Amino acid sequence: MASDAAATADTFPKLLIRNARLYGARPAMRHKDLGIWQTWTWKEVEEIVRAYAVGLNRLGLKRGETIAIVGSNRPKLYWSVMAAQMLGAVPVPVYADAVADELSFVLAHADVRFAAVEDQEQIDKIQSVLDRLPKLELMFYDEARGLRDYDHAKLRAMDNVIADGRKALAADPKLGQWLDAEIAAGKGSDPSIILYTSGTTGASKGVVLSGERSIKAATDTVIFDKLTENDVALAYLPLAWVGDHYLNYAQGLVAGFCTACPESAETAMSDLREIGPSFYFAPPRTLEVLLTRMMIRMEDASRLKKKMFHYFLGVARQYGERILNGESVPLKGRLLYALGNVLVYAPLKNVLGFSRVRVAYTAGEAIGPDLFAFYRSIGLNLKQLYGQTEAFLYVTAQPDGAIYSDTVGPACPNVDIRIAENGEVLFKSPGMFIGYFKDAAKTAEVTTPDGYVMTGDAGYFDEKTGHLKIIDRAKDVGRLNDGTMFPPKYIENKLKFFPDIREAVAYGDKRDFVTVMLNIDLTAVSSWAERNNVSYGSYQELAGHPLVYAMMEKHVAEVNAAMAADKMLAGNQIKRFLILHKELDADDGELTRTQKVRRGFVAERYKPLIDALYNGAKEADISTEVTFEDGRKGTLAARVKIADMQPVVPSGTLGKAA
Amino acid sequence: MRAPDGPPVTSGDVLLSIDNVSLSFGGVKAISGVSFDIRKGEIRAIIGPNGAGKTSMLNIINGFYHPQQGIITFKGEARTRMRPHDAADGGIARTFQNVALFRGMSALDNIMAGRTLKMKRNMFWQMLRIGPALAEEVEHRHRVEEIIDFLKIQEIRRTPVSRLPYGLQKRVELGRALAMEPELLLFDEPMAGMNIEEKEDMSRFILDVNEHYGTTIALIEHDMGVVMDLSDRVVVLDHGIKIADGTPAEVKSNQAVIDAYLGVAH
Repeated sequence: MASDAAATADTFPKLLIRNARLYGARPAMRHKDLGIWQTWTWKEVEEIVRAYAVGLNRLGLKRGETIAIVGSNRPKLYWSVMAAQMLGAVPVPVYADAVADELSFVLAHADVRFAAVEDQEQIDKIQSVLDRLPKLELMFYDEARGLRDYDHAKLRAMDNVIADGRKALAADPKLGQWLDAEIAAGKGSDPSIILYTSGTTGASKGVVLSGERSIKAATDTVIFDKLTENDVALAYLPLAWVGDHYLNYAQGLVAGFCTACPESAETAMSDLREIGPSFYFAPPRTLEVLLTRMMIRMEDASRLKKKMFHYFLGVARQYGERILNGESVPLKGRLLYALGNVLVYAPLKNVLGFSRVRVAYTAGEAIGPDLFAFYRSIGLNLKQLYGQTEAFLYVTAQPDGAIYSDTVGPACPNVDIRIAENGEVLFKSPGMFIGYFKDAAKTAEVTTPDGYVMTGDAGYFDEKTGHLKIIDRAKDVGRLNDGTMFPPKYIENKLKFFPDIREAVAYGDKRDFVTVMLNIDLTAVSSWAERNNVSYGSYQELAGHPLVYAMMEKHVAEVNAAMAADKMLAGNQIKRFLILHKELDADDGELTRTQKVRRGFVAERYKPLIDALYNGAKEADISTEVTFEDGRKGTLAARVKIADMQPVVPSGTLGKAA
Repeated sequence: MRAPDGPPVTSGDVLLSIDNVSLSFGGVKAISGVSFDIRKGEIRAIIGPNGAGKTSMLNIINGFYHPQQGIITFKGEARTRMRPHDAADGGIARTFQNVALFRGMSALDNIMAGRTLKMKRNMFWQMLRIGPALAEEVEHRHRVEEIIDFLKIQEIRRTPVSRLPYGLQKRVELGRALAMEPELLLFDEPMAGMNIEEKEDMSRFILDVNEHYGTTIALIEHDMGVVMDLSDRVVVLDHGIKIADGTPAEVKSNQAVIDAYLGVAH
């Protein structure tokens, strides 16, 4: 079924037609509206998208043109993608939380004449930069609320566009045939979508993917994870991110499974529970937030419940993962685990919405071994994958039964991986991108003459498992003045595995020693403060509290001890650190939209702090500009303390592994 | 500022008029001889320093206080005293200066409570929840869900209101008032005790209610910035006497108002 998809359909609209034929009465999409889950079958989706495509065409959208898609996960935005593709036009999704500047860059760069947008908020943003978008002609909106007094010269309701297309289709039977011909005329090698990268390294680039390659890649993983039309996924990740387009849109169309859209971003957690997806993806950060919240709630539970919870989590730690991996476990362990499942794990998974999850993935960043083991031990089949937009997501993925927290798995089916001399990971995959939009030079820069794509990540194949291990961005791996290899990400991740450290930024390249800047995790630390009678008036005050410093010192010492035990990394021990007075934020440009730290930018912005870290000062003043959600700016000034660490002397004894 | 071409309901007809109304508690004169009107579709603010008689005025409009003198004309019907259930039946709803919600109940149930007057089946039918009573509840629930969507409080639908932050409680209270589908909505200091962000949200919702549902709004508010931005017309009371009435700009430049707020040099 899935395999014949690749043979018969090389574009997504063709897959939609096939699904309407094969799974016509099965649910294709759900959306919670006014408190009730609304369902559309594949047949209904096909009808709507056909009408929508005709409506768009009547407004001027043609083959080869681009159309921006701006908003959160809503059926009509997914249908906008499908309808555009049906006409041979290229959808360009944009992050819903992008500020006006980022939005205007993508819309202008992609030459969009049309934009399908969610609501007033997005329209306001686009209208504020309209003078930079001379080519933009029309915006189609899903949510009419608040738009009554707007000038409608450039606005159309999606509902009206669809209704108009439907009327035209009913009036003229030839139009239906014309649309069939348009769908048939779509070639697999045509651009199917342009996904703009989040811009971890500089301005974002438009990654052009073709239908044929996208479908090939999705087909491989649908088979790999045995996904069928009976699966359900909750689409709650940003629409513009390759992960959503791959996991929900592409795999959904290939396997024919149902994609459910949450009521709103805030309700995603409870919607997850109601939908009970069978396929789930969450970045490590989301899993971490869930665990932190759960642990905080357990603090308030009754003593009996607390005892039971911790006892059975111990049981799960001991046997859970081995049971999940199908290894042999003593009978006593199996019985205890079964009891724990009834009393703790199953209710826990139910609350989290994981009861029916068959396959779950995490990716994007390194995941803490404890965090990873926790979810696996309670019976969630969580696996890791490694990929990037240029590969149409997957490069490697862990197969069932061979799961390690520090690897990302072997190469996916039909993917070829090579490690370059400098340690950079190169790949060739079925879903590989065609090129960067309007940037042949950049495309050539990341492609080797023999057709491999450079990921920019440094990694190696683990000898024991044969799995790929990613350590850092290739260009971020630096050297200390004494020549020691310095992988900042590795150090930061080790720190971030502590639940009360939200973010860490390490410096050390071309320096004498390693220093870090920390961000506390407000949820965890404020809960700790409450329990320990630590009073504070603001984030800034809490972050600078001596007891918080003492706590962080302990964490840093632990990381130092772990690194001291590793001969390669012993020189990377952290000598000095500080706790930042504000949270690093994407709105201030300090994080990317996918919440990755932009180290270079942060270094520039907090230069006085970094100077102080290296000149021996005990504290430093810093004043930074912050951007509020509505675009206004303000200044935040603070005096930040710096803590010194005693280096751990490598003990040299062999038995002492980290 | 509001767009000059407001909602279509701005027929400008007088919805409610207060004519020479006086109210006293024993020897204390709370309001003396005040007259003004509220037109259909407008946002009307009642302002004044502490003790000016603003809340008393609101209580007269919704029938909680009965004035000793004067005429209240609502939808063309003149009467000397309004009764609370007449007011509610006639389409007047209000929110309170302090939150007055059922604290143990969820946001959804609180808003459903606002539909009580609209339910036709009696208590026993509703307890059985079958046939027509069920159909009726489904219908009412649909209207309530529309309000929940309108106020963007989906994520707290099932949360007991006592667990919600103040700003959200206020929003639930607004939801309950909206559930009555009022023609005239009275706000008693909707922004009291709110931070800037909550104030901005609430202002947005008041404007949206006015625009989306065409509801006429009368509000008492201390925050002058809010009043001047939101309202079409402002009436100013001081010591129970009307000292000014007009557009925000007119009121702002009125010497009597300035004196009342800033005090006069003697």
